[in-house]
Amino acid sequence: MTAIASSPPAAAAELGGEAGYRNAYRAELEKLFAQLPTRLLALVAVIGPFAFAAVLKIQSGTPSDALFGAWVHSSGFAISLVILGFAGSWGFPIIAGLLAGDLFACEDRHGTWKTILTRSCTLEDVFAGKLLAAGTAVIGITLLLAASSLIAGIAFVGPQSLVNLSGVLASSGRVLTLTIVSWVYCVLPVLAYTSLAVLFSVATRNGILGVLGPLLIALLTQLLDLIGNGVIVHMLLIGSAFDGWHGLFVTHPFFGPLLISGLVCVAWIGASLTASWQIFRRRDFLARTDTGKPNWTAPIRVVATAAVVIAVLALATSVGPTGVTAYRVSAAIGPEFDNVTLLQQALIGRHAPPGAKLDVLPNCNRRGAAAVGPGDWNCNLYVYLPQPNSVPFQQTSVEYDVSVEYNGCYKAQSPPTFIGGPTMQDARGKSVTNPLFIVYGCFNTL
Amino acid sequence: MDAVRASGLVKRFESTTAVDCVDLLVRPGEVRGLLGPNGAGKTTLLRILFGLIRPDAGRTELLGRELAGLGTTALHGVGGFVEEPCFYAYLSGRANLALLARLDGNKATPQQIDDALSRVELGDRADDRVSGYSTGMRQRLGIAAALLRQPRLLLLDEPTSGLDPAGTRAVAALVEQLAAHGVAVLLSSHQIGELEKVCTAYTVLRAGRVVWDGTAAEIAARAPASAYALATSDDDRALAIAAEQAGVRAQRSPRGALVIAAQPDRLDAFVLALGDARVIIRRLELLVSQLESLFFALTADESLDHLEPHELADKVLAAA
Repeated sequence: MTAIASSPPAAAAELGGEAGYRNAYRAELEKLFAQLPTRLLALVAVIGPFAFAAVLKIQSGTPSDALFGAWVHSSGFAISLVILGFAGSWGFPIIAGLLAGDLFACEDRHGTWKTILTRSCTLEDVFAGKLLAAGTAVIGITLLLAASSLIAGIAFVGPQSLVNLSGVLASSGRVLTLTIVSWVYCVLPVLAYTSLAVLFSVATRNGILGVLGPLLIALLTQLLDLIGNGVIVHMLLIGSAFDGWHGLFVTHPFFGPLLISGLVCVAWIGASLTASWQIFRRRDFLARTDTGKPNWTAPIRVVATAAVVIAVLALATSVGPTGVTAYRVSAAIGPEFDNVTLLQQALIGRHAPPGAKLDVLPNCNRRGAAAVGPGDWNCNLYVYLPQPNSVPFQQTSVEYDVSVEYNGCYKAQSPPTFIGGPTMQDARGKSVTNPLFIVYGCFNTL
Repeated sequence: MDAVRASGLVKRFESTTAVDCVDLLVRPGEVRGLLGPNGAGKTTLLRILFGLIRPDAGRTELLGRELAGLGTTALHGVGGFVEEPCFYAYLSGRANLALLARLDGNKATPQQIDDALSRVELGDRADDRVSGYSTGMRQRLGIAAALLRQPRLLLLDEPTSGLDPAGTRAVAALVEQLAAHGVAVLLSSHQIGELEKVCTAYTVLRAGRVVWDGTAAEIAARAPASAYALATSDDDRALAIAAEQAGVRAQRSPRGALVIAAQPDRLDAFVLALGDARVIIRRLELLVSQLESLFFALTADESLDHLEPHELADKVLAAA
């Protein structure tokens, strides 16, 4: 080492006030984006939707199990909405976990708590800086994914209008607006997952659990969605909040689930961050806990607590009013069938006069089970067609297999013998998606 | 204004009292060595001074400001590290310092960061990831990180751990120059030799308690004799001369040379006497310094009074 240089340190001015949360925030952002997982995540958020759209472009199949999945060859917005659906199930928990789950635990792993806390930052600054950095990164990646998916969809398929969840063709402008609103709304549940990742990271001091925690909760949500008919527990799960936007895509939007899940997310964020701060501020930053080796005592405690919570939630899934009933399924699918039938007729050049409608009498039931709750349903649609110059009405029966989810969204599919194949030729001879083949819809479960 | 003024500090971990009623005073420009064997409480004391843990009792003022809880306001003007300095392995040395500078409120400019890196001879490796740094390089980066804060009080825990002899000398030189500019330095170490060159005062801890506190001059006056290895052209004659010298004890070492115990001024007279007797000194090597003698005497569990010089030397060397 060379001898000390010119400027005498003692003569230098004393360090001034607190570094503040802004500097801590910027430092955390720098750290976050210097890490490979963050960069890879950003790369995937940009490239992923384009790759997805490109793959769809070169094959005829569709991800029809996802809402709007059957329409990915007809409207670029469907691609963005399918990606939003996938992200809500798995993508967002992974993003939240990767960006926030290791945020606190990494300091334990690197042994850097002492390094940070012997600078001019308070505990509050560090905590706030880390939270803001995680929030910024998560929101940034989410919006990047949103923009990328929209651009990819429009670039590969085009900005065509899209059949909404009531079976009505919605204009491009309206669908674009609703798609953007949906992505922006989903930032709230993503932040809720982020808060949980922070809590896992702080409570367990273990990066692995911090990263995997949100994903495990997403998996738990998926499992709980399969059991119980009550709406209360389902509405309290963060994963359910990703379905809130579905109500925007029907002709007469319903906002109840959107508002409630939004409040639930705010509650999750508040509770998680409060708990995180209480744990964090009480902590003694002793070297003996910063050995660089994972500490499994806290994780085991957290896992045990989580197991109890899961058991309670599982038992409570039937509490409250039933969201999915035969009446609601029938009331949704009947008018929608009317709409998509008229749409199909319009596509082949048979334009019905304004206000024209079919008389549809739906009858929905479940095979071998009580006619309530999510699962596989069977709907018989008795359609009375006006027959001029003949008997006044002729009845036609169409049978749909309907897969209904806890959130009131469904996918209805009928054998091709009834309504034709997945594609058909329009009036100009062009192959288009048959709107009757797969019907997506949503009804309000509240 | 004192750099450190601590009184009655107590810190317990369950049934262990790591720091037991410790008083500590460090003045500006003073380089104080904090000595003690492993487990004596040095690191715990430094953690308290950094505000990383709360003492169970006692009061601490750093640069005239009371250190309360885990606040960092009292740390303004304080730099250093406790235990081994830790950094983000995936960032470069320069990026780590830039990040820490940001946590200091952006007080350090990029030029100052470069200067700090140059002063610890990491300038050419500044853009390498810390994951590729050796222990010594991390130690030097820790010192650079401390210097970025332009400290008036420097707290260093085993600063030369992992450094080669040249690095150790450079750290000593750096500490001396900082002290010359009025920086108070508290150096914790269990390697006594490295401190003796730079410290102007010492505090010796044993089992959490202060067992000795004083200046380097007081050590010179009150510490036990130093021990030296001596090889001459005529060891029998040298032993005989030693026996005639007041304050000099000599023994034949089992390893072949002689071991001499004497205060420095007595040793000078003995060396002159050897010259007068035409006994050629082929080797005279310090085995145990006064500080080491004192340290060992204060921290050993047994009485040292009965030990012959070579036995004392052997014990001290074994302990080191």
